[in-house]
Amino acid sequence: MSVYSFYIFDRHTECIYTKRWTEHHAPPTSRPSATGALSNGAADVPVATRRAMKLEDDAKLIFGTIFSLRRMVRQLGGADDQFLSYRTGEYKLHYFETPTQLKLIMLTDMRVGNMRTVLYQIWATLYVEYVVKSPLAPTEHPRGVGVANELFEGGLERFIESMFSPQP
Amino acid sequence: MHYFTITRSVVFALLIINKAGGLIFNRTFAPGLQKLDSNDYLILAGTFHGIHAISRSINPAPPEPQTQPPATHPRRPITTGIESLESSHFRLTCYQTATGVKFLLFTSPEQPNTEVVVRRCYEIFGDFVMKNPFYNLEMPVRVEKFERALAGYLVRP
Repeated sequence: MSVYSFYIFDRHTECIYTKRWTEHHAPPTSRPSATGALSNGAADVPVATRRAMKLEDDAKLIFGTIFSLRRMVRQLGGADDQFLSYRTGEYKLHYFETPTQLKLIMLTDMRVGNMRTVLYQIWATLYVEYVVKSPLAPTEHPRGVGVANELFEGGLERFIESMFSPQP
Repeated sequence: MHYFTITRSVVFALLIINKAGGLIFNRTFAPGLQKLDSNDYLILAGTFHGIHAISRSINPAPPEPQTQPPATHPRRPITTGIESLESSHFRLTCYQTATGVKFLLFTSPEQPNTEVVVRRCYEIFGDFVMKNPFYNLEMPVRVEKFERALAGYLVRP
């Protein structure tokens, strides 16, 4: 029972917070020739930059996915229907949207149950308290400015640990 | 006078998507979903096909530790796409066959055993569509026996 990652997107469709609890494994190249370190002919791009681009790409893919799914659910179930979560064979994605169109997304392993209350708590007790009410944080967060402050990060870590720590 | 609404577990609709993402079968069995015209269903099928593919690539789970070293080069871990989707009014169960055909079953959220139901739909598909000598692969399904067998299985009288 573990959490893999957590994202927050604001109403301007920007990713304003990312948190990962696992090392993302790069998919191996399709060419069988084992020429070692470099892959895909991208000889000039250092590994650190590639990893950063991969994280950004992941956030964009996730946003695109939930945007399309949300639209699909509204089309099928009516305007008041809400997309809640989806499950694949490897992970589960939980979605919570606030009335201000702030989107909280959490990816966990498949056996986790309904995380809606957890996401609501993260929003109400951590985001609102430490980000919205912070006098130093701006009202809008372009590129995530002002969100990843110490109180919010620390609170989130402790909250997730208390929820998912292995029982003694 | 008060009427109590009894939410019964019910199957709303079945969609079948071929390997390329095109919709080949679409039937509604009970009311509960919004009325969409056939064009909307086509677009929906194509969208879901794309989302299914993306959901495989954003897999965050760490790979299982392999017990023996791979023979030639490390094999890509086999990832699956969306198998089940929850919303407040319906649940979508997606079963992808080994040939890439996707069965989308829309049910009410309380419907139990959606996996069993969608497998049975796949069996009926195999019996009446695949074994039909006049059916062209990957084309829209227009087989009357298939529709009757499906209705007999999915519609509660």
